[in-house]
Amino acid sequence: MFADLFAYFYQFADVFAFLVLSAAGLAVIFGMMGIINMAHGEFIMCGAYATTFAYHAGLPLPLAQACGVVAAGLIGIVLEATLIRPLYSRPLDSLLVTWGLGLIATQGTLIVLGSSMAGIGTPGGGFRLGGYGFSIYRMILFAAALCVLAFIYLLFKRTRFGIYARATMQNANMAQALGVRRNRIYALTFGIGAALAGLCGALYAPTMTLIPTMGATFIVEAFVTVVVGGANVLLGTAPAAVALAVTRTTLNGLYGQVFGQIGLLLAVVLIIRVLPEGFSGWLAKRAS
Amino acid sequence: MKRRSILTGAAALPLFSIVGRHSALGSDPIKIGLLEDISGDLAMMGLPKLHGSQLAVEEINGKGGVLGREIVLMHLDPQGDNARYQEFARRLLQRDKVDLLIGGITSASREAIRPIVDRSSVLYFYTNQYEGGVCDASMVSVGAVPEQQLSTLIPWMVERFGKRVYTVAADYNFGHLSAEWGRTILKPLNGEIVGEEFIPLGVSQFAQTIQNIQNAKPDWLYMLNVGAAQDSFFEQAAAAGLNLPMGSPIKIMLGFEHKRFPPPALNNMHAAANWFEELDTPAAVDFKKRWHAKFPNEPYINDMGYNAYVALYMFRMLAEGAKSIKRDEMRKVIDEGGACIDAPEGRICIDPKSQHTSHHMRLISVDAQHHVHIDKDFGVIQPYWLGQVGCDLTKRNDKEQYSPDHLPKAM
Amino acid sequence: MLHLLNGPQTLGNGRGFWISAGFVLAAALIYPAFADPYDVGNFAYFLIWVFMALGLCLMWGYGGMLSFGQTFFFGIGGYAYGVFSVDLGNAYGMALGDFAMAVLLAGLAAAILGYLMIYGRIGGVFFGIVTLSVTLALAFFLGQTAGPEWAIGEARLNGFNGMQGMSPLSIPWFGGGIDLEETALYYFVLILLVCTYLALRVLVNSRVGNVLVAVREDPQRTELLGYDVRRFQFGAFVLGSMLAAVSGVLYTSWGQFITPSSIGLPAAAMPIVWVAFSGRSDLTAVLVGTFVLLAVFQTLTIYSEQAALILMGLILVVTVMVAPQGCFVGLSRIANRLPKRNRTLRVPSAEPG
Repeated sequence: MFADLFAYFYQFADVFAFLVLSAAGLAVIFGMMGIINMAHGEFIMCGAYATTFAYHAGLPLPLAQACGVVAAGLIGIVLEATLIRPLYSRPLDSLLVTWGLGLIATQGTLIVLGSSMAGIGTPGGGFRLGGYGFSIYRMILFAAALCVLAFIYLLFKRTRFGIYARATMQNANMAQALGVRRNRIYALTFGIGAALAGLCGALYAPTMTLIPTMGATFIVEAFVTVVVGGANVLLGTAPAAVALAVTRTTLNGLYGQVFGQIGLLLAVVLIIRVLPEGFSGWLAKRAS
Repeated sequence: MKRRSILTGAAALPLFSIVGRHSALGSDPIKIGLLEDISGDLAMMGLPKLHGSQLAVEEINGKGGVLGREIVLMHLDPQGDNARYQEFARRLLQRDKVDLLIGGITSASREAIRPIVDRSSVLYFYTNQYEGGVCDASMVSVGAVPEQQLSTLIPWMVERFGKRVYTVAADYNFGHLSAEWGRTILKPLNGEIVGEEFIPLGVSQFAQTIQNIQNAKPDWLYMLNVGAAQDSFFEQAAAAGLNLPMGSPIKIMLGFEHKRFPPPALNNMHAAANWFEELDTPAAVDFKKRWHAKFPNEPYINDMGYNAYVALYMFRMLAEGAKSIKRDEMRKVIDEGGACIDAPEGRICIDPKSQHTSHHMRLISVDAQHHVHIDKDFGVIQPYWLGQVGCDLTKRNDKEQYSPDHLPKAM
Repeated sequence: MLHLLNGPQTLGNGRGFWISAGFVLAAALIYPAFADPYDVGNFAYFLIWVFMALGLCLMWGYGGMLSFGQTFFFGIGGYAYGVFSVDLGNAYGMALGDFAMAVLLAGLAAAILGYLMIYGRIGGVFFGIVTLSVTLALAFFLGQTAGPEWAIGEARLNGFNGMQGMSPLSIPWFGGGIDLEETALYYFVLILLVCTYLALRVLVNSRVGNVLVAVREDPQRTELLGYDVRRFQFGAFVLGSMLAAVSGVLYTSWGQFITPSSIGLPAAAMPIVWVAFSGRSDLTAVLVGTFVLLAVFQTLTIYSEQAALILMGLILVVTVMVAPQGCFVGLSRIANRLPKRNRTLRVPSAEPG
């Protein structure tokens, strides 16, 4: 009985971690900044590749993963300054630019680094409970997802940078008039979003096949989670991930992965139909 | 460097330069259209296929070409997009007027171009192992099919590991049909499917599947997962300590997972293969040496790349037998039943009824250090199934794909 | 009616525009006389996709609804045509009946989805994600229909490998039908496209179009002016989706084949790329831009092998950086030396009611 309960929780935690980690970077870039970042998957791929490189170069895994985060973050900052910044006044165009960048990134990686890359191997081993085997690393991913949620919340709610950032996103001119260096805020926020995407790649690198198009497996779940969360990502992402993870876990368990996948998508339609402002809109309304 | 492929691909320029070099050969080169994905998701499999064709063309031209004429490849990259396959098949057949068409990776891409080929007068080589069943006079299938891979692999697995089988399959035609084959083969062996699960393409997370498997307690896993995302299963299963024997018609020799994943993720994986890079017969060793001399950075010579190489030698054999490169003339050679070549795996022939290829099958397995062992040599196995259920291309051209639950209508 | 061909919602209203458009059309009409049949067929193939782009232009560029669902309706149209064609045949003009029924079926689906979304007050990014979700759900669903149990009449959906066996469109003619392939298909698609384009021009310059643009700019204000905003959005959505289905039918008939990958990602993003690249706020720009982009992408893929995707990416990035309104709206501005008009000023003072 306990083993079965734990097994369900484990499944839930696994899906939840996947949704949160893949959505975290997008929540900042798309949810807060309003940039439709079609290259989100490529930031994830970048994090995974950088991690794998660093690991094969001899770094221990956690350090290698830090490299992945930093690499994605730095690339994000550079891209923001060169290509994204002129587009803040026309967010829909960012869709085209980032889509183009995504194409360049995947194909460039393919040409330069080849069509596949040797993997790392999942660390941490496993444990057994009532006939089931569980991977410890998957539990680490769950913990990481919770940490990421807490990090985003604290960063944007409790730090000076976070307050500046939210002020800039709401009204950039006003914020600047009050002395906020808005370009620096934009660059840093975008960089943090990119770094979080890189973190997703870094964390999943040991569990996945490394190919240049690997980012594509994350992107639908990422967008769906962020949007269902609603306009206020600090409030919405966690409940959105919980709701979608429960849906998917249950359907996966009962009817298999196909219906888990289709069910997740239909749940999105249903949730948005019932809560047209997403979870955060609904929570805000209840609070007021 | 991968750049090499760019040179041979683009149509006009290399064409002229090659013609200049081999002026000794007949004036008019034979044009061979090639459609292989070297961008996008399938690039990992498409690149070795392109390389195999390039190597064969170079060798054949070095030996005097086909019918005294030089052969040139006209390669286009459909980027894994079925619509591009349609566009480019038309372009190669109608505009460039190629004399032979080769290529396609997924079954969907093959089905996309088959109607277009059927309306031309050109022969088409499909060089992948696949779910079998295409009965079409315009097409020669070079890869292995289920009766060659599965009716060898599954009985061996049952004998060695037991009768309780769990199927993990990609949720598309290949997965469904191969799962069906599995059920059919297991029935007379008193085997039991204790679980069967279909995974949508692109899914990369398998915690639920792994748990279902642990619940069902099978003796071995019948793995039909497809694509890079689904390959993540092995890493995740190893991390959860699943550690069950596995059998598959597409792992090891096709996706070289034992080279891409660190050990022991692929431990205890078994497959029935007509080609794998670890094969070390003298002919195979010689072939590998030539390949690696031309493409020193090739991560692995997989069976698709090997089949692509063999296809061009088959074409040469057919053309020289027929003294013609016309489809109908070459098919007469197949009809007569002597369409055989000595390939690196051994002597293989094209079956007249189905236009599929016989293969020398071997059972291979991967150990905890990811070394490949040959566990059994099955010898040459014929592609008998289509002929058995009533496809006979020497008599009529069905242009259909059959499966165990979609059989030819009785005449 | 015809005076509405020109108006504030379309670029290219002068005599010069119509004269050059006439020349382009004349050139297009005599093109098959000079060209290789393959090139004519390939030309027709590009035109097939333009309907889908025009539909998105109407709902996104004019109506402000960013739909990721064009391939959803493309797929419904294509698969429905396949099913009707296999089950009902295409004799005696039935193929055109199959065509019409497939498009109407997609229209019905668009009406249901549109009703749920628009009357449920779903807007902005939510609109995009809902349409994307149903699109992907359909692609996944069709992908798992490999088994023989998934058949409608004689027509097997056949999963990921795709549906086959439908006949090409044909028009009834004395002594048997004319199959629409190569040159015949070209003329059929060309005429259909010209009619669609002109009809859409009339539509967007009419009262409906003006209200639609007003909704895009400020739905609340439009509502306060007494318009039922949702009715206009609903109409634009259904019409735009049916245009996607037209593309789907034509594509399926062209290749006698359709697979779920024509519906899922990345296919679903392509119409948005075409329209955004061309300049979403104008029909002519989308018409020309989509055609040019398709031709350029195909040419790149043919001649530059692995570099093709990189070059495509570069084209998109450079376009956005250099031409903010989209490539062809930008070009037409330069050509006409028009002063940059503020888009909000393009709403004329339409009389309510």
